[in-house]
Amino acid sequence: MRNFVNSYGRAAWLPLIALLALPSLTVQAQQMGAPVAQETPPPPAAPRSVNVPKPDEKTLKNGLRVVAIEDHDVPLVSAQLLVKNGGEIDPPQLSGLADMTASLLTKGTKTRSAPEIAQQIEALGGAIDSGAAWDASRASINVMSSRLEAALVILADISRNPVFKDEEIERIRQQYLDSLSVTLRQPGALASLVAGRVVFGDAAYGHPLSGTPESLARIKRTDIVGLHSQFYRPDNAVLVIGGDIKAADAFTLAERVFGDWVKPLTPLSKRAMVGKMIKPDEKQRVVVVDMPDAGQAAVVLARAGISRSDPDYFRGIVTNAVLTGYSGRLNQEIRIKRGLSYGASSRLDTRRDAGPFVASAQTKNTSGADVASLLIGELGRLSNEPVAAAELVPRKAVLTGGFGRALETTEGLVGQIAALSLHGLSLGEINNYVGNVQSVTAADIQKFAGGRISVKNANIIIVGSAKDFLEPLRKQFSNVEVIPLADLDLNTASLRKTAALL
Amino acid sequence: MQRNPSPLLTLLISLVVCATLAADSLAQVTMPRLSYRDRTLPNGLRVLTAEDRSSPTVAIQVWYKVGSKDDPEGRSGFAHLFEHMLFKGTRNMKDEMMDRLTEDVGGFNNASTWDDFTNYHEVVPSNYLETLLWAEADRMGSLNVDDKNFKSERDVVKEEFRSRVLAPPYGRFFYAIEKYSFAAHPYRRPGIGSIEELDAATLEDVRSFHSTFYRPDNATLVVVGDFDQKQLDTWVDKYFGRVARPDRPLPRVTIKEPERVTEKRISESAPNVPLPAIALTYLTSAVKAGDAYALRVAESILSSGESSRLYQSLVYQQQIAQEAFAQADLREDLGLFVLGAILASEKRPEEAERSLLSELKRLQDAPVTAAELDKAKNQLVTNELRERETSDGKAFALARAAVLLGDATRVNSGIEKLQAVTAADVQRVMKKYFSDNNRLVITYQAETAKPQTNTGSGKKGGGR
Repeated sequence: MRNFVNSYGRAAWLPLIALLALPSLTVQAQQMGAPVAQETPPPPAAPRSVNVPKPDEKTLKNGLRVVAIEDHDVPLVSAQLLVKNGGEIDPPQLSGLADMTASLLTKGTKTRSAPEIAQQIEALGGAIDSGAAWDASRASINVMSSRLEAALVILADISRNPVFKDEEIERIRQQYLDSLSVTLRQPGALASLVAGRVVFGDAAYGHPLSGTPESLARIKRTDIVGLHSQFYRPDNAVLVIGGDIKAADAFTLAERVFGDWVKPLTPLSKRAMVGKMIKPDEKQRVVVVDMPDAGQAAVVLARAGISRSDPDYFRGIVTNAVLTGYSGRLNQEIRIKRGLSYGASSRLDTRRDAGPFVASAQTKNTSGADVASLLIGELGRLSNEPVAAAELVPRKAVLTGGFGRALETTEGLVGQIAALSLHGLSLGEINNYVGNVQSVTAADIQKFAGGRISVKNANIIIVGSAKDFLEPLRKQFSNVEVIPLADLDLNTASLRKTAALL
Repeated sequence: MQRNPSPLLTLLISLVVCATLAADSLAQVTMPRLSYRDRTLPNGLRVLTAEDRSSPTVAIQVWYKVGSKDDPEGRSGFAHLFEHMLFKGTRNMKDEMMDRLTEDVGGFNNASTWDDFTNYHEVVPSNYLETLLWAEADRMGSLNVDDKNFKSERDVVKEEFRSRVLAPPYGRFFYAIEKYSFAAHPYRRPGIGSIEELDAATLEDVRSFHSTFYRPDNATLVVVGDFDQKQLDTWVDKYFGRVARPDRPLPRVTIKEPERVTEKRISESAPNVPLPAIALTYLTSAVKAGDAYALRVAESILSSGESSRLYQSLVYQQQIAQEAFAQADLREDLGLFVLGAILASEKRPEEAERSLLSELKRLQDAPVTAAELDKAKNQLVTNELRERETSDGKAFALARAAVLLGDATRVNSGIEKLQAVTAADVQRVMKKYFSDNNRLVITYQAETAKPQTNTGSGKKGGGR
């Protein structure tokens, strides 16, 4: 909604920038159907090797882990303060609490008002941002390296000294409610919220991260202050600084602005280390949210996937890469062969506990059922037959190339390191990524697709104009639940307002 | 109307001054110069190249001077539809072979169609540079699309239309801004087109568009990244040098947009719109003109970040808007400056309109503060710096200067010009362009809430 764009591109996913050298893949003449006068493309030269920067780390006396990563190409620095809990700790009645708390960090501290925070960081040419994700809350800055210290002082202030003024809480609450009213009218965004409830039910990842109209209304200042004092503490946080700064200087700066952040005497709450969050496998659901006059139907296949620290992680991301991306199987079948969508993709969303595996596409309402069966078919095919080398080699290249490009910007670099830190993984993994991807075999993929993300337990969610696809959908599935938009309740696994059940 | 700054803003401004004094000479954000080579082949192809060995990758871009404004009459959306076709077959490449040469080796490709130009771009491991030069030259010289591919890809573009315009609650709002802001100039036809006019396009249109516009003397090749200059020159000569320059003239849009003589109002509605929205649009100078720099600074002061004037006033203080924006959408033939807001619940478009107008008036009545000016420049320059973190970003900056601004040297001098903008310049352009008669007001709301009297004519302006 934000972007007012008047250019139209070929592909919706605008990739990040830069790459790794890869094993050469010569394009064969056979791909070209070769009538006589045709030329073949010149083959590649020998690849150049690439150096991935090595992170350094240090833990301050108060328990704050500081990670620094140098990249001096451009005079920019990114820094992220990561608190190791996010939406998963929201109490059942208070969906959106962690996200609202994190958003309020930039809305006033003991010494700076909300407008002053924005004013000061933006005067530096920088940007500041805060919010919660699953398993993490973060505040981040991105500035020219000469402005780092001034920006870092503000980052420390907002993380440590937010005051959560009532006036600011009300303002944020209203903004969240308004923003949610927009989300609830966007087929794609709404389908993704519904998918969370369908996959996780009433367990920790099931609710909308930014709350529901009902839960947002219930959140009180004491809930916000309580969450902040319980979880925002140095021994539950990581500071990542990356870009045009020497590691030693990053540690000195971190000590200066975060060194006196006092670690509470109380031990870290057990809620910070919640155990299994996913619900036991239940019967798969087929949920239709009827949005009359929807401009398109959003079709989603969703089920539980794996956690970030799962030993199958690399097998999982390579499996997903076969399905997703421009030339991935989903886009091949749905867009390129059939013209049914502007883009079909999938995502293996790994979290502290098992996150969701989601495959999705938007299509004209009348094609909703067709796209659902194509998503199911492609996931099934992946477990039925091995992926040929001619397909697997390029799909791995997509992953390693994309990873390399992500490391080319300071924000991308910091983001990758932050993800490893968050899940307690070795920071050295950033240097082993290519090898880890290359070691995955076709047999691994078949096993992963048939086991860890088996289509047998997959749910289908469609948000759109139901009359246009319901009949063919009911021919495919006997258990279609149709929920009119007005009866949708995101607070519960049943997804229905109780009155509607009568 | 709010004439004087509110107490909160006054406080803000004084704080800014303190902050500025504390951190020395904030306006002096410097930008490393981008050095590049510039040459033109005998067939008219412009070639801009810049070495950057920081990673073993290379960005290749080809920009064609043809955009949505060149859509044939009755074929709105055609330039964009055509852009999709250029990924289908050529003399020497099968359908989607561009993906085999980029995505499959760890790179990527994409393309986008703008009002004034169309660009095709790739980033690949640098050992694939020669392969990609061959491929770009091949699709410049030939195109081989069959009817089946054409129809299937046209369906993709229709889905793109639905994804961008019909499905999002504010898709039709942004579409209306494009559609109603121009009276005669082809900019009045939204680049994404319409289902009907996309359906009217034929394979013959595709062939004719390629031969009319896809030619070396209408293109700029930009290569940035890891390469050896001499070797690159040899490859460029070899593969692009052989693409013939046709002797047909290149058609150019010559239609002039008339000045607006009186305020116009349009009311649009659509299903599934939770909160009303409003936009004010003004015709301004073209992107090449000197006023463009001051307009960009004004845009930044109005809407860049939470300290911006529109956010502070409409979103934070008055809480009229859920979101407020300003955009200097400056194009080759003339510019469009858009201010708008998506309202907060319970608020009416008239309230947002009053506030937006009052913010414009503030900029006309008094010069912006030095601190605000510095902030805007720092934000703009830092954004440019972020863009130039990568070879791809550098290539975009270089190509924009050469193709859209018509002067490659502006990739460097443009930053200096931006730094030189004064508070008086900002005030001057605000007075010059933001007059009542130069205003189009578009209000947007849910279909059910549609008012009975529609003040706007609802149709596009005159023209050919």
